[in-house]
This record gives sequence, C-alpha cells and structure tokens, in this order.
Amino acid sequence: MVNFKYCYLGLCLIFGIFGVVTSAESGSKRDKPTVAVANYPLKYFTERIVGNHVEVIFPIPSDIDPAFWIPEPNGVLAFQSADVILLNGATYSKWLDKVTLLRRKMVNTSEGFQEQYIQIQEFTTHRHGPQGKHAHAGLAFTTWIDFQQAIQQAEAIRNAVTKLLPEQEKHFGTNFLALKTDLLNLDRRIEEIVNRRRARPLLASHPVYNYFARRYGLNIRSVLWEPEIVPNARQWAELENIIKEHPAKWMIWEGDPHPDSIARLESLGIGSVVFDPAGNVPDNGDFLSVMHQNVQNLKSAYR
Amino acid sequence: MSRAVSTPLVVGVKGSALDLVMSTLYFDDAVPELMTMAETDRIEDSGLALPIPVYARFQARGFPIVGTTLDYFAFRGLEIADGRQLAIIGETVLGAKAAEALGLGPGDFLVSSPETPFDLAGVYPLKMNVVGILAESHTSDDLAVFVDLKTAWIIEGLGHGHQDLIKNKDASLVLERNEKNVTANAKLRLYTEISEINLDAFHFHGDRSQYRLTALITVPHDSKSGTLLRGRYVSPAAATQIVQPVEVIDGLLQNIFRIKNVIDAIIMVVGIATILAILLVFALSLRLRQREIQTIFKLGCSRLTIVRLMAAEILIILVFSSVLCVGMMTVVDHFKNDLVRIAFIR
Repeated sequence: MVNFKYCYLGLCLIFGIFGVVTSAESGSKRDKPTVAVANYPLKYFTERIVGNHVEVIFPIPSDIDPAFWIPEPNGVLAFQSADVILLNGATYSKWLDKVTLLRRKMVNTSEGFQEQYIQIQEFTTHRHGPQGKHAHAGLAFTTWIDFQQAIQQAEAIRNAVTKLLPEQEKHFGTNFLALKTDLLNLDRRIEEIVNRRRARPLLASHPVYNYFARRYGLNIRSVLWEPEIVPNARQWAELENIIKEHPAKWMIWEGDPHPDSIARLESLGIGSVVFDPAGNVPDNGDFLSVMHQNVQNLKSAYR
Repeated sequence: MSRAVSTPLVVGVKGSALDLVMSTLYFDDAVPELMTMAETDRIEDSGLALPIPVYARFQARGFPIVGTTLDYFAFRGLEIADGRQLAIIGETVLGAKAAEALGLGPGDFLVSSPETPFDLAGVYPLKMNVVGILAESHTSDDLAVFVDLKTAWIIEGLGHGHQDLIKNKDASLVLERNEKNVTANAKLRLYTEISEINLDAFHFHGDRSQYRLTALITVPHDSKSGTLLRGRYVSPAAATQIVQPVEVIDGLLQNIFRIKNVIDAIIMVVGIATILAILLVFALSLRLRQREIQTIFKLGCSRLTIVRLMAAEILIILVFSSVLCVGMMTVVDHFKNDLVRIAFIR
C-alpha cells in the first residue's frame, strides 16, 4: 500500500515538472513579439527603442554586407517567423526579390524620405568577401549615415513597434527620444567639424557616402576600391585622373585600408581616414561607439 | 460549396464570373483573362482588405501550379506535413494528393510543363525543388503545386537567370556591347534550375505592377470594409470585377436544380403519356381479340380463366420490358459521366 502511494506521488511529480517545463517553453515562445531587421543600424535602433519588450532578430551572418546577402532557407524562415520585418528601403536588400516573405509584414523605414532617394550611375560589377558580385547602379542605400535620416528611420521603427505593442507606447517613446538625442549629437558634431570647410575635396573608396555628402554639403568623389585589396594599376591611373580635377587630400574608407594602399596614397599626398557605415555588426563596440570613432576620424580630414 | 463559403471575395478581370471563381477556388483548366499586380496595390492601399494574389496558369505533369504568397496558406489553414515552407524562389510545396500521385517528396524535383510543346521560342521549363508536402485538406489544394508568385513569373519568363555577360568574354554571345549595356543573342545560356550557385543571377525585368495574376482572393477586415470595397467595383467603366464566390456557386447550383426540375417535369409528362399509350394499346388489343375471347368462352373456359389468361399475357410483357429497361439503365448509369461530358462539355 505504501509502495503504491509512493508510485502515485512520483507520477504526480513527473507530470507536474513536465507541465511546468512545457508551459514555460510555450510561454517563452509567445511571451515576446519578434521583429526581424535587414541590417545592423536597424538592429541597433530597434534594440534601443524596444528594450526587453520585443525580440530582435538579425538572421544575416556578420561577415557579409547585408545588402548583398545571398539568402539561404534558414535565414529566410527566421524572417518569416517575425511579426514585423524592418527594411532599410532604397532598394537596400537586393535579396528581397529572391525570397518568400509577406509584404504586409514589411516596414520600409526610409519611406518617409523616399522622395529624396539619390539615384546613382555606376555599372561596373565587383565582389567583396564571400558574397556575390554586385554593382551600385540604382538608388544609393546607405541612408543612415545622414543622421537626420537615421532619426526618421528610428521614428518609423518606433511607430512599427508601437503598432505591435500599443501598451508600451510611452516606454518606446522615451527610448526613441534618448536615441534621437544621441543621433542629433552625432549630427551636430559632424556639422561642427565640416563647417566652413565643406567645399574641401574628398575622395571615397566606395560609393556609399552619397547621403552623408548631401546632408553635410561635402565635396566627395568616389572610386570603387576595397579596403583589404590593393588597387591595381588601372585603378591607380583612374585615381590620378580624378585628382587632377578634384585635388583631394584625404580618402574616406569603409574599413581599415591595406598598408600598401595607405603608403601609395601618401606618396600622392592623400591621407586615409576610416568612416565605417557599420552595415553589419561591428567587431568591437556598437553603432554609437563606431559612429563616434568615425566622427573623431573625420576631424583629421577637416583640420 | 464550403470552399466558396470560406472565400469572401474574389477580384478578377471582367468576364465570366464562373470561370474566375472556378479557376481561383478549384484551379480549373479554363484560365480567365489575366489581371495585373497593380490591383493588389490598389486593394492594399485602400486599407479595406487583405489581397491574396493567385496565379494559376501553368501546370506541372498535369497538376496546376499555383503561384501565391504565404498568406494563402494561413488563409486556407494549410499546414506543412513533411519538409518546410517555401523560402527561396524556385522552390515548391505540393498538395498531399499531388505528391502521392507524382511520387515526390522533399528533396525531389518537379519540372513545369510548357504551355505548348510547339513554342520553340518560348520559355524553358523550370526545374523546381520540392521542399515540403502539405497535410491533406480534402480540397482542391490537395491537387495543387504551390510556388511563390515570383517563381510563377519566372516560369512565365518575366524573371530569369543567365550567364554573366560582363564576365563572359565569348564574343559569339554578344549582339552589341557598349560602356553601359551589353545585348546578348539567343545563344546566351538561361538557367532552368535555381540553385545556391546561380540564385544571385536571377532577376526580373519590367514594371512589377504590370506583372500578371489570375485573380485576387480578397479578405475584408470586416463586413463594412467588404461592402465599401464592393462599392468600388460597381462602375461600368472598371476593367475588373469583384464577385462573392458563394453567390456564383449558389447561382450555378440553382441553375443546375432549375434544369433538373424542367427535366423531371418532362419525364413526368412523357411517363403519363406512355402509361396512357400502353392502356390504349391494351384496350385496342382486347377489342381486336373480342372474337378470340368469345371462342375461348364457348369452348368452356370460365370468365375467371379468361381474365387470368389476359393478366398472364400483360405480366409477361411487363416483366420483359422491365428487364430490358433495367439493362438499359445499368448501361446508361455506367457511362453517365462520359455521356454528359461528350454531349454537353466537349
């Protein structure tokens, strides 16, 4: 009789634990809405705004440019599972044409300034890293390094997540204002640096600074170089032609340039500064720290 | 009928409402006139309903290829029984019966059928990657081959992937080359399968709002939105129509029942006339055989025996005609579907 009672208690305990675990698992699945993002700046902005109330997923590997991601099924399924998909807009995500996603879940965070998208003409294809070759023809898409535009994108994110969780409207609003202050601070610092020297000619290693140049009235000409690859003879000749009519003393790079490139540029009287657009998750720090470093680096070019 | 009841509204090009509904709900062979994606944007922008595009024009080994979005699966409550959901262009998810009939499962391939085998300049068939099988739903979805809308457009030829003309220096591929444009000739190799290797090469041409669809399943947010939306299609100048499938199918059934009633009435009249004719034949036969009956009576047969003789004759005729009738009915019943198809459909 005693043994039977122990068996009964044991069974109750097992089923009780199983029940708690199961409910905890199903609870964790439904606890938080999910937002998927198409690049790192959107991830940073969203995380700043939503805090712990929404799960933010960024299914694109950290070693590639998210704009030119070659989609793989697991990544796409992760996007599908999200309640909202935050896109950069300006044809940033070239992979959108190749995947099955719900249009009604997508939010174009740059829709508010789509009339001001910049059309660029550049047809040469090139390749960097493990991703496929691409061209930059069409719309310029590095929208967020114009920090006024970044604020508008953050505002679109706030609106989208508020629609998702209306009860957190106040919390999201407070977080957005803090983010806006940080972005305005960056905007102001750049204005101070470039002020009165806006006409100074600059070179960019890649055509990704269009919105940046427009916002701060900078005089930038772009080439099509990769930081980790030393340019070939044709590219150097092209640069020499450019500097004849655009006598720049500084080149802005997306990442740390190859030492040989730095040396060769110095021989031409051109210094190198890094302004990382931070399209993907940085190795160190976060979006804000990378941008502060960018601003710091930019000081050299406008001394 | 339940499928029509569960589909609130269907938008398509003006024309036969029945063709539109049959094609959208049951993926019928008769494809209605095609509409454009611009209509999807129009409904989406109205904020009144969720538009679910359906492009059911092509076939794969006798089964309809249905190009649609993920909303369709949620709307119909279709679950994946084996494999996974569509993720990348070139993938397909099969209905349960289609998968069984084709003997295919996740990891297999299915090739789309050309619209006409004699179109030598037409689009190449697409080798699609089967990634999932749907759970049986006991509807026409069980017999469908589902693909992403973009995959259907690739089958149509609006999107494609080909050799890289900038990288490929084979001069025999090029008609014209300048700084900004390279024009290839028909020798350029087009990819007939979408894989990890060539996915990046696939692209679409033209204005996406002009890409074509069979119809839009339209799910209003509430009954008021549905009424408002229907009001937007009443203009005679509109190129598109909005129909309620339940009304169309109900009308079809009413027509079928109306025809049945007419046929029943005709059969009843013919039956009465036949019975009267038989009675007349028997009456005339008895009158003609009056002398024969009198002779039998004079030979010593009682009146009852004569009645029994006449009754036996009538019974034999009735039994024989009944057997003949049952035999003919059995033959007609066996071939009824084919006979209706031959007589009324083709």
